[in-house]
Amino acid sequence: MALSPEVYKAFEDVVGARNISQDPAVLECYRCYAAQSSAHYGPFDHKTPMPGAVIMPGSTEEVQGIIRLCNKYKIPFKAATTFWAAMGYIGDENAIQLDMRRMKKIEINERDQYAVVEPYAIGAVVQVEAMKRGFNLNMAGVGCSSSTLAGTAGWVAFGPSSLFMGTASENMLAAEWVLPNGEILHTGSLGAGSGWFCGEGPGPSTRAILRGKQGTTGAFGVCTRVAVRLHPWPGPAVIPTYGTIPAYRAKLPETIKTVTVCYPSWDAYAEGANLLHQSDIVYLGHRQFNMFGRDIKTAMIKILNDPDLQLCDLPEIMADPYIKEQNEKMKIEVSLVIVGMTQRDFDYKMKALDEIIRRVGAWKSEFMLEKPIHDWTLLYLLRLGHKNLNYTLCGSYEGNFGMSPNVFVTAPLMESAAKLKDDYAKKYPYIADTGGDSDMGSLAILGGGGVTGWEFFTCFDRFDKASIKGACDMVNISQKWMDDHKLGVDMGHWNANARREDGFNYTQEQHNEMLSKLPQPWVCGYQYLVKKAFNPYDLGGSYYRTCDPASFAKK
Amino acid sequence: MALKDFRPMMERCSNCLGCKWIPFDKIQSQRFGENCPINLYYEFHIYSARGKFQAAQGLLDGEYGYTDALLASTQACTACGACDIACKVCRYNLEPLDFNIALKADAVEKGNILPVQKEMIASLKKEQTMIIGAKKANRSAWAKGLKLKDAMKEGAEVIFFPGCKYSYDKKLQGYARTAAELLINAGVDLGYMGEADMCCASRAYQQGLMADFDARSEANIKAFKKAGVKTIVTPCSDCYYAFKRLYAAKGLEVEVLHVVEYIDKLISEKKLKLKKPVNMTVTYHDPCHLGRLGEPYVAWNGTEKKIMNQVHTWEPRRPRYNGAYGIYDAPRRVLAAIPGLTLVEMERIREYALCCGAGAACEQTYPEVSKFTANERVTEANSTGAEALVTACPWCESNFASAVDENGKKIEVIDIIDLVSRAL
Ligand SMILES: Cc1cc2nc3c(=O)[nH]c(=O)nc-3n(C[C@H](O)[C@H](O)[C@H](O)COP(=O)(O)OP(=O)(O)OC[C@H]3O[C@@H](n4cnc5c(N)ncnc54)[C@H](O)[C@@H]3O)c2cc1C
Ligand code: SF4
Ligand code: SF4
Repeated sequence: MALSPEVYKAFEDVVGARNISQDPAVLECYRCYAAQSSAHYGPFDHKTPMPGAVIMPGSTEEVQGIIRLCNKYKIPFKAATTFWAAMGYIGDENAIQLDMRRMKKIEINERDQYAVVEPYAIGAVVQVEAMKRGFNLNMAGVGCSSSTLAGTAGWVAFGPSSLFMGTASENMLAAEWVLPNGEILHTGSLGAGSGWFCGEGPGPSTRAILRGKQGTTGAFGVCTRVAVRLHPWPGPAVIPTYGTIPAYRAKLPETIKTVTVCYPSWDAYAEGANLLHQSDIVYLGHRQFNMFGRDIKTAMIKILNDPDLQLCDLPEIMADPYIKEQNEKMKIEVSLVIVGMTQRDFDYKMKALDEIIRRVGAWKSEFMLEKPIHDWTLLYLLRLGHKNLNYTLCGSYEGNFGMSPNVFVTAPLMESAAKLKDDYAKKYPYIADTGGDSDMGSLAILGGGGVTGWEFFTCFDRFDKASIKGACDMVNISQKWMDDHKLGVDMGHWNANARREDGFNYTQEQHNEMLSKLPQPWVCGYQYLVKKAFNPYDLGGSYYRTCDPASFAKK
Repeated sequence: MALKDFRPMMERCSNCLGCKWIPFDKIQSQRFGENCPINLYYEFHIYSARGKFQAAQGLLDGEYGYTDALLASTQACTACGACDIACKVCRYNLEPLDFNIALKADAVEKGNILPVQKEMIASLKKEQTMIIGAKKANRSAWAKGLKLKDAMKEGAEVIFFPGCKYSYDKKLQGYARTAAELLINAGVDLGYMGEADMCCASRAYQQGLMADFDARSEANIKAFKKAGVKTIVTPCSDCYYAFKRLYAAKGLEVEVLHVVEYIDKLISEKKLKLKKPVNMTVTYHDPCHLGRLGEPYVAWNGTEKKIMNQVHTWEPRRPRYNGAYGIYDAPRRVLAAIPGLTLVEMERIREYALCCGAGAACEQTYPEVSKFTANERVTEANSTGAEALVTACPWCESNFASAVDENGKKIEVIDIIDLVSRAL
């Protein structure tokens, strides 16, 4: 059921007729196909509910006006910006979806080294504007088409550069936040009228309420501006590029280089990762191309580097003895970007890298050092502009064996996970059979290292029901394996307690029932009390996980 | 392909939103990073290739018909293909542009035709041009006094095909003459289609008016065959695309050259020397239909084939039009051959150039979108500091002529033929 004409008119008065819609085809575009860009909710064969209306606010005042009306009429709402993941979509019939696309300003403070961004400033444009001033930012692994603010205020947002630059929770400074009750809160130094330089104070430090480790996933009001820390970029103001589509390549000074380090074993990998974490020489580190599957990664790189090649060429390329040899050498690998702040710094870092390589018996992939491939890889990793490649093989994928503990815990388990996936793909035709090990992940998912983030890609075809079912099987197989190894919740189940399988929000009663059984139910009990104070009509949705203390206190 | 045949693509699109931006690797600034005219103008998600991929599923499932927004997103789309090439940086199994056109055709089939489109169709039928108000009787005015063979009477291997805009626009007629004269003076035995010279109907195709496109193109192909045409030279990028890609798919086997390619050839063969300095700083706008959509046609009649269980490929290998081999260098070489001329590039160029806003007859069907897009491009052109904006397409040229940048400032718009003639 659509909004009543009176309510619609009230919203329209806030944003203007051009920026609100109830057209069913417009609304349909704000539904998430849970088998498509689920970001770890699914894969299922259905969509999230249809919004009652979609509104595009153009300013903080407009956001406030919308939220006040939502409170007045008790209409649930959710803001999203770049819509990569299910968590951005509403979970109640007739809830309002805010599309933050119209708010996209970027202001860079060179002296204090931060950028104040509005929601639709995507990673790519924040990066290009920052680079003009000698800076860069932590780009979440989701890639540069995703909103910097959404990652910072709404989600974990770690990525290949997090080792050097930290994750979103480490980079978030002051913020402007329209709370679920319509009040505007200025957090950190902004709240004390001292600018954007600090997230904690002087002024209210609400980081724990408004973002925490994982972010509030849009269920707790709307962030309209946030300041993020910037980090040094010694390269040119604009990355010069060359090459023919799709193989664009970076032409950067010799002091900015990518090296793919290959290891003889997972033990050597763990030791190498540990040394890389400690040595402070890595600007960006990611196991990237293995996401295609261990068997095909080198052939895929070849295809992506040649405008005339396509996926149908895979078998022929894989049969090439040189590619075979290089693929074998790159079985266990990580790609690094080393950035010298000066020539001396670069020389030191390369020397340290050589020493680490020597100590763990690793080697540099010569294939990845071939000039055109090197320059392509460098651009790929620095801009993270090819995230759609995650989907290129089959159109959809789900993450499995999502492991983020210490590398010495996880590395020895990689082959066992790989075998499980390989066995399944060999037995059933439902998921891509491109090598059991299809792990991708950042060298560290915390500033300074310590832990790595890993995710195996299960590529499937959402157009094929049997294939969706196969991906679901893998989610279950993988979760059982995670349980057996005491590794916690797997990626496929990450949001299982935030949104129901049918795409709707949980009711409070359902959340009480489910979350009171957690080992530490007071986490959600605390959030329940916060919600009562800031979000009295419960308009944000169940991604903000709350549990009435009464449901567990008496037990 | 009918709309329903695109269902697998609709469902396999990954909602990455790459189709709203130029390829991310190429972004140089926030201001000039986006690429889709309709998305820039309307902003809601439905106004993008991705949005349409999603909305069309509800349409096919009968959840709604052509709503106002779906219709606007379908009809205002300039069929510029910017989404298509951005998508293909990563994807090998999606064809957003072909889908956009199939959606247009489906809308038309279901009776969604704008009044102005009806006028265009009527004009095409009666006067063999989609320029409303133009008369067939005046079509050859541009050629008056030129020593051109009438291909239909005398036969001609190389014909000059001016296209409707150069034929009827008073200012452009002169450039068509100049171009033809350049070829004649260089010794080309040049003809034109005489009485059989008619609209290529590329813009009918771009609007999804398939029956009209089919009728016109088939008649033209017949005429070309009868006249024994081996090479078509055209100054119009829309015609170029029609012959090179659309007519080729219908079996026309001729060499197709844009005038700018021919001039480039004459310069490289030293048959044409540009001597007079033109002391100007200019920027060049790549027309969509000469640039990213100007790649040669490759025949294909195949099906999907999955390998490695679920990896999508095509059997036989499917041509992959991603703009890699469009016509970008020939115009730039011609500009470089003009003494005194300096070329400064915009940020969105070559396969990722922004559309001028005139594609798919948008300037007539959705003038506000078209004007907005032209203004956006002129803002970018003025940001380079160039004194003039050069292009190789009459539709771009006329759309830019009245456009202003975000500060209300215009820019001189120059046809590349005119620029060459200034250097003769
Ligand atoms: C293919 C893929 C790969 C991924 N890889 C990684 C990875 O490597 N590392 C990682 O950390 N994450 C990863 N993710 C998750 C991803 O980081 C988040 O989805 C992303 O950071 C947020 O961008 P988005 O496009 O999803 O934004 P959106 O859809 O706009 O929003 C994401 C969340 O933030 C909320 N939000 C958005 N705007 C606002 C606002 N103005 N105020 C308040 N809340 C808001 C939304 O409601 C939603 O819950 C991946 C997701 C996908 C689909
Ligand atoms: S059409 Fe292509 S670029 Fe656009 S969202 Fe779909 S996959 Fe991404
Ligand atoms: S063809 Fe052009 S206008 Fe149409 S959806 Fe694609 S980019 Fe937008």
